[in-house]
Amino acid sequence: MIQFFHVSKQYFGNEALRDLNLAIGRGEFVFLTGASGAGKSTLLKLIYKEEEPSKGQILIDSVNSTLIPANKLFKLRRQIGIVFQDFKLLMNRTVHENVAIPLLVRGEKQADVEKKVNNALALVGLTFRKRYLTAHISGGEQQRVAIARAIIGNPKILIADEPTGNLDTNLSIEIIKIFERINANGITTIIATHDLNLISLFPRRIIKLDKGQLIQDKKIEANQ
Amino acid sequence: MKFMFHSLKQAMANLLRNKMVNALCLGIIAFTLLVPGIFNYISFNLERYISKLSENVEAIFYIKDDSDSAAIEKLLQHIQANLLVKEAGFISKDQAKTNFSGEFPELKYILAEFNDSPFPASIDVKFLADARNLIQIESFIRDINKVSFVESVQLNLDWARKIALIKKFASFVGLFLSAILLIVSIFIIFNVVKINIFYRRDEINILRLVGASDWYIKTPFLIEGCVLGFLGGLLACVLLLLTIKAFPLYAEFVFNIVKQLIDFKLLPQKIFWQLLITGTAIGLFSSFISLRRFIKITPD
Repeated sequence: MIQFFHVSKQYFGNEALRDLNLAIGRGEFVFLTGASGAGKSTLLKLIYKEEEPSKGQILIDSVNSTLIPANKLFKLRRQIGIVFQDFKLLMNRTVHENVAIPLLVRGEKQADVEKKVNNALALVGLTFRKRYLTAHISGGEQQRVAIARAIIGNPKILIADEPTGNLDTNLSIEIIKIFERINANGITTIIATHDLNLISLFPRRIIKLDKGQLIQDKKIEANQ
Repeated sequence: MKFMFHSLKQAMANLLRNKMVNALCLGIIAFTLLVPGIFNYISFNLERYISKLSENVEAIFYIKDDSDSAAIEKLLQHIQANLLVKEAGFISKDQAKTNFSGEFPELKYILAEFNDSPFPASIDVKFLADARNLIQIESFIRDINKVSFVESVQLNLDWARKIALIKKFASFVGLFLSAILLIVSIFIIFNVVKINIFYRRDEINILRLVGASDWYIKTPFLIEGCVLGFLGGLLACVLLLLTIKAFPLYAEFVFNIVKQLIDFKLLPQKIFWQLLITGTAIGLFSSFISLRRFIKITPD
């Protein structure tokens, strides 16, 4: 599903990722971890082509993403749902309007949009906030709006960058459980987090980066 | 259809959001278009006036005495064959004398003093009325004047020539000012669109990341530029009409003679179309370059 071949990324001479080789299979649930500046966000950005690798190749669903032209980039991004660290929500719009954006840009019919928004909000437990202005709901709820927006387009891949960064433990667990439910539908899920305590509660594959290098790639079994 | 509706809605929202900036922009575009509009109007009317003067462009080629009649006939045929010529005829010395007597019977007694006609023979030529032919007519006359048995030429083109010169000058000044104001106008719309892009930068970024196509993001801004340009053109048309209404009053005080000579009232419809199309094109072009400069679609 996602393959990195000798991928390096440099920013003005500083190496954010160094000769990374990685494969994530379809439907996998992966925690991407490492200290701040380890290269987690860079790796995620390379997947949704917000950044280009300085070296190497990246295959997304067997397509070399480095060869996708700018005017076709939206096709790749429609396959990927992204939950951003800072949510990237429009605070002056309602929850419904925020969640509906990915469908509107695809020109979907209003009736379908309505149905899918309701389903996505139900999945994250936010139906009752549908008509609220996004600025008027809590941080945890905003996080769930961001998740609903990421999954509404039925993506093949779901990426979340520090989705529990500003949340307390209970809320963080709740959010990861939502991701598990989404992953159960066959969506490849990659969550970047530095919260090792949280990871320990969910026995999944862990990819650890340090100074741009892969230093650990292991699958923790449920009984470990 | 849905996409266009979305784009239009978004463009209108942008326009209504920054009312002051957009109103200022509209005013500048309108002024920018008004200047070439006025010069275009003046130029059009001067051209019309030159056409009027040119309707009676005549030349008289005086022939030297004792010239070969076969050569004169040949020259006459040559003149008649020219496409600029409406009609041409040979006036002999005697015929000229008769014509003079007919036109000035009170001066007949003077002619009685002469045995032969004192008037030279001539070829009288009337040209077709078309202002654009003036240069060709002058060139044609110069050529004929070089013929050895042509004594001199009498031409009534002086007025037309002077007006043509004024028209040329007006066109040049108009073009020069238009070029400067065009750049100003492009710069203004460019910056208005830039402000709107800046205002919506978060939304644009989100749209980009959730899979909106290039055109989905850019079209509202292009429409916004077009609408601004079109409305600017429309406002320029209104201002031009008002200026033209006010001009005769002004002219009466300042240059009554010119006003009598030239009837500055006719305003061709094509000027309106030109203003609207130019305004829209300026808007489209400015927003296009602004989008190219400020919307980042591709990754770093």
